[in-house]
Amino acid sequence: MEGNNSISQPFEMLIRIREFTRSLIKGMCAEQSSFVVHIDRFRNYCTDSSGYCSCSSDTAKGKEVITLQRECHVHRLDVLLRVLLIVQQLLQENKHGSKRDIFYMHPSVFREQSVVDRAINDICILLQCSRHNLNVVSVGKGLVMGWIRFSEAGRKYDCINHPNCAHPVPVNVEEVKDIMSVAKYILIVEKESVFQRLANDQFCKKNQCIVITGRGYPDVPTRRFLRLIIEKLCLPTYCLVDCDPYGFDILTTYRFGSMQMAYDAKFLRITKIHWIGVFLSDVDKFSLPKHCLLPLTKEDKSRTEALLRRCYLEREVPEWRLELEFLLQRGVKFEIEALSAHSLSFLSDVYVPSKIQGELYM
Amino acid sequence: MEASSIHELCRCFMYLAIQRCRLLDDLCRLSVFLKSSPLSHPPFVRISISDTGVGSCLEEFLDIKITRGPILDETWDGVISVATTNICDDKIYHQNLNLKGEASMQRLTKLPSASKNGAKFSGTEISLSTLETVDNLMQILMIPKLAIEFVIDRGDPSGSRCENIIQAIQCVSLSSDSNIEYLKSGLEDYVLKHNNHLQNICHSCFPNREHLKVGTGVACYSESSRNAGQVMEAVIVISQLSESTSPSCFQVCDGKTEVLYYKDFSPCLISRPSLNALTSIDWKSYGLTLRSNSDENSTALLEWENLPLGFHIDIVLHHYQKKYPSAIVMPPAKQMDTTDRSLTRKAVKFALNDLKEKNAGVLLTAQTLKIRSYAPDLARTLAGLILSSNDSNFQGECLSLLGLQSQEIESETVEDCIKERLISVIDLNDRKPQRNKEAAPYLFDDGCYEVDNFPDDYEEGEEANSSLEI
Repeated sequence: MEGNNSISQPFEMLIRIREFTRSLIKGMCAEQSSFVVHIDRFRNYCTDSSGYCSCSSDTAKGKEVITLQRECHVHRLDVLLRVLLIVQQLLQENKHGSKRDIFYMHPSVFREQSVVDRAINDICILLQCSRHNLNVVSVGKGLVMGWIRFSEAGRKYDCINHPNCAHPVPVNVEEVKDIMSVAKYILIVEKESVFQRLANDQFCKKNQCIVITGRGYPDVPTRRFLRLIIEKLCLPTYCLVDCDPYGFDILTTYRFGSMQMAYDAKFLRITKIHWIGVFLSDVDKFSLPKHCLLPLTKEDKSRTEALLRRCYLEREVPEWRLELEFLLQRGVKFEIEALSAHSLSFLSDVYVPSKIQGELYM
Repeated sequence: MEASSIHELCRCFMYLAIQRCRLLDDLCRLSVFLKSSPLSHPPFVRISISDTGVGSCLEEFLDIKITRGPILDETWDGVISVATTNICDDKIYHQNLNLKGEASMQRLTKLPSASKNGAKFSGTEISLSTLETVDNLMQILMIPKLAIEFVIDRGDPSGSRCENIIQAIQCVSLSSDSNIEYLKSGLEDYVLKHNNHLQNICHSCFPNREHLKVGTGVACYSESSRNAGQVMEAVIVISQLSESTSPSCFQVCDGKTEVLYYKDFSPCLISRPSLNALTSIDWKSYGLTLRSNSDENSTALLEWENLPLGFHIDIVLHHYQKKYPSAIVMPPAKQMDTTDRSLTRKAVKFALNDLKEKNAGVLLTAQTLKIRSYAPDLARTLAGLILSSNDSNFQGECLSLLGLQSQEIESETVEDCIKERLISVIDLNDRKPQRNKEAAPYLFDDGCYEVDNFPDDYEEGEEANSSLEI
């Protein structure tokens, strides 16, 4: 899969769109007329929890054969072609549009945003590109603060002047240039509330670091930006998430990428990431009150079991998997905010510094 | 075959005669001759049914079951005279056969044979005497599905004699002399004459035969099978009447299909296994919904739920033995039922598939019709991809692939052309065997794939759906 910077010109994308269109027309007009679209299928994990599978490679794991024989396929083709037409126009006019913009062009046909998202993913696979190559952008929801300075399409982001002030993550990551930093590390936090806690406590100023949050499941610009600054600055990266299956899944999204965008995972995943917490063992270690532990719900348990089946855990981060197994065995969970039981700034003053300095991470 | 009246008995003899004619690979003649003797006491009519087919083998008469009753008892003594000869025989054999006799051995009386004087011909004449009147017999010999040379000699002093060809077959040249071709032609005639309600083809409804959509199917067992020789033929005709059709013609379009059934070249009631087979066919895969079926009033009726106004479906089934007369030991009744059912299903499905194959856009499944409804949108988008492209070479190439000239660059023309091609692909898919349609949508998949229910890639405030099925 080619990605990011390998396709610099919209011209190249337009050639690929025309090739695809031509192949469809050729198929229809051939003697044995047909209308078939083959979409490679990618996945970044399977349920072979032994880890002895082929998911570690970034090659396609099969093909979906989309024909005019099933109504769901025809609807999918209808959506795909409509989105492709919009993309062709964006590229020809050198304009950018968001996924939401595209949705509102045919809302009654698309019915829901996820249908458009899927079509965009299909097109990326067909044209062997990343989403931004289609001039499809999104309003990034990630936030960044700390010891970093960069510019995006001529606009300067000088976070160093106010290292405890949140800035939105840039959307056009390919336009980000002149990255400079004197930070010692990058800290990823799952939630905005934790990000704000650190900002209030002037964490970045005190610890000379960069803090980023994807505000829950991280979007593509946040992950791409993170990859970019890690590559440029070569800084150690730590991740702080809730001790529950959602927190763990967000951690794996940063580390391995998402299933939906598995075709682009190698451009989005952050392989050198350290999980600093929160862990169940922290409850005893930091003498947290027992009432901070909440029981896992039935849904939590089934989600945890599903997570445990993912092949990449056993193969690449077996110690993470052990921690998750421990969570399931204990049947309890707790949130980062529980650290505030001691004091509001316990997280900034004690917890994170002690984890990083003591190398108490996985 | 069963007969409980002179009328039915005569029909049995005519059907046997037709079968003998069928076996001769040449033009044949079937004649029915009624000779009345009004002056004798009591007055009687001599009926003669003669044909120029192969010679008769007497076993065929043993299959006729005479149902005794006052009508037959009072009008016929049970004796038939049979004169028959094969082409290789040098004599004409005469026998009397008492069909009311109890044991077969006692039935037959051999009479002196007559020499053919070296002539080469074959044929059979069956004659009998009855107390029925000529007028009565005339009515019963009018069989709408047969063309018969019919001669009546009233035996009165004036010597009046009338000849008639009943139900003359329209002249249709058939490309083949296979049975199914005749069956097809016969059903077409039947439909063109509004189920034989008319004497002639209704030209206002059917300007030509091409107006009908016809499919044929033949099912038989292989030579090595225990049921070898059993054949089932099916012909299905779909006709459509226009809105301007006269109300009297529209009467046949009542959303019902009367299934015509023939056994060994004779019309008869549909067998229960065949009727069951008809109801068990997956009509939905041909876009039809069977509302009900019945075999009341001696006819098998299939009633359709969603047949558009003006459309009518006609079905004929013909079950016969390839070898005649049947020298094969008939299988047990239960096995025959299974054979019947299986052959009917196969033949009808072959006919439906044949009909679909030959007539694009006919018998499409409900699913295909839904898929077809996407064609205009798909065509519009594809035309958009071509016409909105800023690469004129690409446009020219696509238009030429579509068989359009560059000057015909009107978007509607391109759309229509693409739509037609899409519909032809969709229709082609519909005609493919069902098993191909159900092929796994994934190739080379190891099946070890699972999508968790985690939300993923949240963006712009909307929740992404992790479900992979639309």
